[in-house]
Amino acid sequence: MATEALGEERPALFLRKATGLVRGWSVRDSMIYACLATNFVTLGIYEFTFAGPAFPTGQLITAVIISGIWVSFLVIAYSGLIVTIPRAGGDYVWQTRILGSGLGFVMAATGWWFILWLWAPIYGNILSVQLFQPLWATLQWTWPAGGAVWFGTKNGIFVVTLITIALAGILVSIGMAGYAKIQRWCFIGGMIGFLVIVLLLLVNSHASFVSSFNLEAHKLFGINNAYASTNTAAAKLGTTSSLGFGPLGPTMLLVPAMMFFILWPNWGSTLYGEIRGASDFRRVFTGMFAGLWITVACTVVFLLLVAKTIGWGFYQNLNTLDYNLKPQFGIWPYPFMFAGWMVHNTAFQVALILVLSLWFFGWVGTLFLSSTRVIFAAAFDRVLPDRAAEVSEKRKVPFYSLVLMLLPAVGLAAIYSYSATFRTYTLDATLVIAVTYLFSAIAVVILPWRKPELWQASPASKIKVLGIPIVPVSGLITIGLLAFCLYEWLSNSLYFVNSRDSLYYMGAMYVLAIVLYIVARIVRSRQGIDLGLINKEIPVE
Amino acid sequence: MVPVRVFFATDIHGSEICWRKFLNAAAFYKADMVILGGDVTGKVMVPITTHNGYWEVVFAGERRRIESKEELEKIQTQIRNRGSYPALMSPDELDHLSKEEGAVDERFGTEMLSSLDRWLDMADTKLGSGQVPCILNGGNDDFFEIDPVIESSPCVTFAEGKLLDLDGFHLVSMGWTNPTPWDTFREAPEEALAPKIDAIAELVPDMERTIFNFHAPPYGTGLDEAPALDATLRPIHGGAVMKPVGSKAVRDAIVRYQPMLSVHGHIHESRGIKKMGRTLAINPGSVYGDGVLQGALLELNAKKGKVTKYLLVNG
Repeated sequence: MATEALGEERPALFLRKATGLVRGWSVRDSMIYACLATNFVTLGIYEFTFAGPAFPTGQLITAVIISGIWVSFLVIAYSGLIVTIPRAGGDYVWQTRILGSGLGFVMAATGWWFILWLWAPIYGNILSVQLFQPLWATLQWTWPAGGAVWFGTKNGIFVVTLITIALAGILVSIGMAGYAKIQRWCFIGGMIGFLVIVLLLLVNSHASFVSSFNLEAHKLFGINNAYASTNTAAAKLGTTSSLGFGPLGPTMLLVPAMMFFILWPNWGSTLYGEIRGASDFRRVFTGMFAGLWITVACTVVFLLLVAKTIGWGFYQNLNTLDYNLKPQFGIWPYPFMFAGWMVHNTAFQVALILVLSLWFFGWVGTLFLSSTRVIFAAAFDRVLPDRAAEVSEKRKVPFYSLVLMLLPAVGLAAIYSYSATFRTYTLDATLVIAVTYLFSAIAVVILPWRKPELWQASPASKIKVLGIPIVPVSGLITIGLLAFCLYEWLSNSLYFVNSRDSLYYMGAMYVLAIVLYIVARIVRSRQGIDLGLINKEIPVE
Repeated sequence: MVPVRVFFATDIHGSEICWRKFLNAAAFYKADMVILGGDVTGKVMVPITTHNGYWEVVFAGERRRIESKEELEKIQTQIRNRGSYPALMSPDELDHLSKEEGAVDERFGTEMLSSLDRWLDMADTKLGSGQVPCILNGGNDDFFEIDPVIESSPCVTFAEGKLLDLDGFHLVSMGWTNPTPWDTFREAPEEALAPKIDAIAELVPDMERTIFNFHAPPYGTGLDEAPALDATLRPIHGGAVMKPVGSKAVRDAIVRYQPMLSVHGHIHESRGIKKMGRTLAINPGSVYGDGVLQGALLELNAKKGKVTKYLLVNG
């Protein structure tokens, strides 16, 4: 039997040739996924349109950096979980194993399945405002009626959301193999697009931007002296905004809003392989941490360049008009489109919009991926009917799970599109996942007590600062972050989360998950199957 | 006729804690018999070097100096529970192992067999007079030297390549798999697997009451999804891409013979259930490294020739 020795001076262990002894994957791949998940283009600048005007005295750059530092502890906590129980099932596996089956199911179903129904129209809306609207505006296409503006109408949002849902559904069906390659190229292309934006904002002066903005706005939208008229219109709404580092209070209120894009570096992180060592923790951590901080760095660079070339007050004025449902050009104020206007060439502007849309296309495929995993896991645990995990023989399409994901998503898309009020519940989508994360953070804190042997054997237990294991401590700091965000979301009406209907909507998801679990327990019990046995540990002695 | 309750687990890869749990599973789940589907032996040997008055070991990425026998026993247990073999040796022996061609293989074999001996002794104590049938099978990662050792056990039945009659049911077992990138012991091309299966399956008098216990899962059924690897055995695209790696011969045999139940292992990540015609195919997966014994709890009705209940458990 062939063997391999691992160690420095003398071998620390010998491996024989056996199935599954895989080597760690590249940190670069992991970093790309973390970076695409904390997508500062699709999610970040989309969120700034809301966050800037909602908290005009808060400092965006400071808030992004504080959020990055705080979420870094979440990265440490999740790295600890991943190297201790390295399963693709993620939160579902950790929570069911450490906290119990029922709680694990409710948190996974709400955070990784039901809430994705709401993410579908959010994705759709982002596609609408970052691709269709700017493209139509640049090309001055007038079909459908209203041209670019149509994509912001109820019908427009609904149609684009249906396209998004179909696209995500197809990607689930064809599998990740082909899509993973696309993702990598999307990341590279998207980064090139962003570098072009950086270059444009860097080499052009503020005066040059103002003149380009006025010229292109007149050409595309027939508005004279658009720069000044934007400021005038926003001034009527009483907006004030500056770029700096204080005060801290309103800046901290921006942190829960920043979670909309910065909370996801752990999205899709998995670990395979059975021989785990300290290097695994470092590798898992580095991939997520690098992805997170590339996002933070890109965001800060972008915002600084906005202040230099576009003008901070002007950028916030554009956002304020949109926030007050009076967008200057009738469409979402896409800053990248405005940056592209500094080159007076339609082909270049179109190409730039298309290249930057790669940030969306590299990201959309994962919309329903986690839902599929949760549905399959719940079906294998007999909580859902067996059919939920069926895959068609010929085409390998998980038909029933697609129905469980797509149909409610279409329903939610209709409500989102046709109810302007429901559209304001966007941060519900972050809140529900944050609750799921909160329980994973609790799991990591209690892990050393709940599963002492597992913890002792984990490389995570060896990562210490001043003799204190940093993984559980990071779990505590993560709990602090999530508790702070939850408190603010639920107590401050500026996030549009704590209205009665929003709370009913979120509450209904938890009720649905609890009911599903209880019904499953009862039905299976009548069939003579005790679901309570699933995670009951067999005694060792 | 009273239904029979079967507990099936697989791929414990030397994890002593999983073996102990397996032996306790019959009592815990009130099972009438327990089956372990292969890949019993571990993949890793951890040298513990002996020095004057202390020992040294690198475990979980950390070098440890062990001062007492109690501490030594504790670390050995931890190593065994993770599915590794603690091997006590002098620094000179360790040097010899590292340099001498074939020396590691020999020591590995010794450790595996002595561990298996201990496990079978535990089974003797635990299962006593064999009131609860305990069936073991080889897997592709198990070297052939374990076969006679298990065969000689008074309370464990070695099932590899056999047709066993189990009180109204028939169990057909095969630990061989289709080729893997690791070139393991019991693997063969698909063309060679099909006749192996046929040779035993044709002896079965009644497929309606038959269980296929094949280590390799059927190809393309979702029970065989493993991370796609590059040429250096590194998962591609951050481990996000999975691909089917099961056996086509096993899949064809299930489709053709349509046994009542087909239990599998081999692909640890692919815990799942698949209905293939009248056959219920199951891979309970494995997380032996965590000390958790994943398994399938099955209730079989001989009269109906049916699996009446099933549940995947993490014990």
